[in-house]
Amino acid sequence: MSTKTPAAPPASQELAKKAPRSSGSKKFFRKVEPYIWIAPSIILMAIFIVTPIVKVFQLSMSKVTRAGLVKGYNNFENFSKVLKSPAFALVLKNTIVWTIAVVVISTVLGFMLALVLNNKFRGRKVARAIVVFPWATTLVIQASAWNFIINKDYGTLNTLLMKIGLISAPVNWTPTPGAYFAWEIACGIFVTIPFVTFCVLSGLQSIDASYYEAATVDGAGYFQKLFSITLPLVKSSLTVATVLNIIYVFNSFPIIWTMTKGDPANHTDTLVTYLYKLAFYNGKQGEASAVSVIGFLILLVCASVYMIYTLRKGDDDL
Amino acid sequence: MKKFLATLLTLVMVLSLAACGGDKGGEATPPPADTGSTDAQTPPAGSGDKIDISVIAAEYGQNTKEWWAGFQNDFNGSHDGINLNVEVVSWNDIYTVVNTRISNNDAPDILNIDVFADYVADDLLLPAQDYVSDETYAKFYDAFLEQSNIDGTIWAIPDLASARAMYYNKGILEAAGAEVPTTWDELKDVCAKIKAYDSSIYPWGIDMTTDEGQAAFAYYIWNNGSDFTDASGNWTLNSDKNVEAIEYAISLVKDGYTNSDPATETRYALQDLFGAGKLAMVIGPNSIPTYIADNYAKANTPEEEQIDFAFAAIPTNGGNASVSAGVMDRFMCFDNGHSDEKLEAIKEFFDFFYEDTRYSDWVLMEGFLPATSAGGEIVAASDPDMAPWVDIVGSCKFYPTAKAEWANVKQGVINVEQQALMGGNVQELLDELQAEIEAEAAG
Amino acid sequence: MSQPVNTVKKPVSIKKTILRVLLYFVVLDVCVITLYPYFAMLCTALKNRVEIFSGGTVLPVVPLWSNFIDIWSRAPMAKYMLNSVLIAGGSTIIAMLCGIPAAYALARMKFKGQTAFLGFVIVSQMFAPVVLLIGIYQVMQRLGLTDNILGLIFINAAFNQAFTIWLLRGTFMGISAEMEQAATIDGCTRVQSMMKVLLPVAAPGIVTTLIFIFINAWNEYTVALCLISTDDYKPLTVGINTFNGYNMIEWQYLFAASIFAIIPVVILFMSIEKNLVSGLASGGVKG
Repeated sequence: MSTKTPAAPPASQELAKKAPRSSGSKKFFRKVEPYIWIAPSIILMAIFIVTPIVKVFQLSMSKVTRAGLVKGYNNFENFSKVLKSPAFALVLKNTIVWTIAVVVISTVLGFMLALVLNNKFRGRKVARAIVVFPWATTLVIQASAWNFIINKDYGTLNTLLMKIGLISAPVNWTPTPGAYFAWEIACGIFVTIPFVTFCVLSGLQSIDASYYEAATVDGAGYFQKLFSITLPLVKSSLTVATVLNIIYVFNSFPIIWTMTKGDPANHTDTLVTYLYKLAFYNGKQGEASAVSVIGFLILLVCASVYMIYTLRKGDDDL
Repeated sequence: MKKFLATLLTLVMVLSLAACGGDKGGEATPPPADTGSTDAQTPPAGSGDKIDISVIAAEYGQNTKEWWAGFQNDFNGSHDGINLNVEVVSWNDIYTVVNTRISNNDAPDILNIDVFADYVADDLLLPAQDYVSDETYAKFYDAFLEQSNIDGTIWAIPDLASARAMYYNKGILEAAGAEVPTTWDELKDVCAKIKAYDSSIYPWGIDMTTDEGQAAFAYYIWNNGSDFTDASGNWTLNSDKNVEAIEYAISLVKDGYTNSDPATETRYALQDLFGAGKLAMVIGPNSIPTYIADNYAKANTPEEEQIDFAFAAIPTNGGNASVSAGVMDRFMCFDNGHSDEKLEAIKEFFDFFYEDTRYSDWVLMEGFLPATSAGGEIVAASDPDMAPWVDIVGSCKFYPTAKAEWANVKQGVINVEQQALMGGNVQELLDELQAEIEAEAAG
Repeated sequence: MSQPVNTVKKPVSIKKTILRVLLYFVVLDVCVITLYPYFAMLCTALKNRVEIFSGGTVLPVVPLWSNFIDIWSRAPMAKYMLNSVLIAGGSTIIAMLCGIPAAYALARMKFKGQTAFLGFVIVSQMFAPVVLLIGIYQVMQRLGLTDNILGLIFINAAFNQAFTIWLLRGTFMGISAEMEQAATIDGCTRVQSMMKVLLPVAAPGIVTTLIFIFINAWNEYTVALCLISTDDYKPLTVGINTFNGYNMIEWQYLFAASIFAIIPVVILFMSIEKNLVSGLASGGVKG
């Protein structure tokens, strides 16, 4: 039964228990069992993620007309076109700045915030609920709100600062493309912090208070405790958060799309917004797919480095 | 609890397996029942003997969806053998939706959108006369039909148009002691006067965003007596007059006469600034008066706070006649291997749509301009404010959308404008673009 | 002897007070900054267009509560909301049903290709759904799931597998296997021991994972935008776009609708916060 319907691991497991068979079939089941447990997950991802990925690889090497019809393979023409385009280097640089700035700053701030929120104080519940707000808000809405707030002419930030008396005339918060990009990064950080905070908090909560008590008895200071108890223990949840964050931020689309669409002249574009424009505004799906394969390769290299590093240090750190 | 989990797991597996089987077996998987039975698009033969017509239509504004819903009801009610399904998609998403559908061989029968040349290039469309009855075909302005002419064949029919003119805030101009500008030099003078009168008001609005930056390009080159192409249709993007025109537009920004960030402020933001009295002059579509009046009505704005405005011809340079920019959208029919009956049904659809009163209702719904002469007469008669526009739209210039390179030109000129805003050299940028487009046109 | 103790104690309590004040100061600042966009959204949602664009007022002159009513008649908000709940709920269930066994196998069993599977999970996340739109659409079309809520549920579940598996695996591995082994000796099957022993202990991690998937699916925008064309099946994120139309952005409606989109998630979070605490308690028992 176990070989026939992988759908029912519980039933087969029971069978194996209640009606003891020859040790051979038991051994075989032991071998197969893990694969049954991971099968649903694999099937789900194979259909809905791997198939589209294969399609993107195909497109990246095909000639695709503007209307979207595939007209055979054209070797690596899409890749050479993308790499030759002057905008690409700029976009790549933006993507790296964007990813590193958002991930690093939000990880540091999110970690600190988690430490603060892990204290017992009045209104902690409320504070925690408030902190999750940016995470609970769709990025499109969040980005629209920020765009609205920092607008020079009718933005609420200028109005507020003028009412308080901090400024006398409306300030143009986005005088240069760089300034606009900085706002986008700020918005990215703003929405990423809750995720980090929460991963760290869930790690912090599983730390036994007795560790700290013991350390206090031994006369350890706050920072000693932080570095010798807290950090090592939340490390695993923090690493997972960081790795996933790198991937999510690298591939993040709505913030930049809503705020600037990559304007002016690709100065705020990242790979994802750039390829979206290529695919759906310029009708170059082949080249867009090539950009996405390039982005994938970059992430793959980073992830491999990470995997090799952690695997060498032992499985527990993953 | 164990049983519960086992059942759920089994369920997931069955679903996944069914999905998997569907992946290999093609269209065998019926649409799941729990999502309702209203999606009439997917079942291939489920709707009896009726002929299915699928339409994707652009969402022009708040009333579009409702209008099409009513149309669909009326049409299906009076055509027993036809099952019409209209899908209204917002402009933000329509290219994504349509391109994805086409790449997956799932093109709609009829599409209402602005571009068409790319589809012709891929042999996806039918010639207009295959799916429009002679009677309806004869209704359109010839100049409009010509906009959809590629190699002597008309591939699409116009559904509506809009034209642009310069709007100005009478109160601000009067207070600043300025006359309505008609030339580029006068425009700069007026801007300077407004700036001197009240530095918190933006004299002139420019939109050079990815959204519609090509319109700015067109306004300035057309009113400098130049164009995207020469008379025989070759691209002339880097002509001296084009360079002069764009340099002039950029100089308006550099002199501080415009909204602060033309690369990210879209025309919608500009319209709103104009309505709020913070922007003195802006080039905009004929729908602006309706739009502003609606806003005031909704907001109960007292009369003394409403702006007093009018429109005039777009200022020109070098004694050229002012050119209004026209924007025209279209219907096109995809070649999905239609049977003769289906083509007849599609003809009936268009006859129904372009029936004069229904058509003028369509045009007036969002304050656009008609593309048929009969529609024009009805619209002009029913709304005196629209009458001058009906004249303007008959004579305005359109983007060269029939040329295959247009999509690249459009993105290219926007890029040039934005580079120039950041200090790039207009001549060099346009030279580069011209070379790029020529290379594309050649092969 | 008692004297010096007293002198030491006093500065400590002052230090503690300063720390308390500092703590409240930081928390208050964080809350104010975090809430500011929502405050701006709320104020804008209560204004009329003209007031919004003329600037100059922080609070609406006359709060226009009717904006909150108008949106329900201008767009099928209730339907959008129901769809969002179905999509987010369905995605969460499927992602957990697939993810828990996989994470369990990774944490408790040794098998060939374990590392490869983990690598595959990470790699599968390296393409943004935006990038894969065309491929996703094709798969959905083959399965007859375009313009279908079920399709979105599967996509969201699939794209959340990585987080589900990685976080749960970490949680499971952090919990000693001894109790499960004891349960197995008592005659429990593997599934029983997982359900009865492991999962309750792992509650905090599971709850975090649940929230994460739910919020992600609730907020998903791009795929829904492309796959769903019928108004009746649109989730809130896409439906709200109605107010982001061709001729104008209706800020007041956009933000009013957004507030409705945010509220359920916040309520959900607040209700689960309690579970987090109780989960913590049960987690503490294990030691």
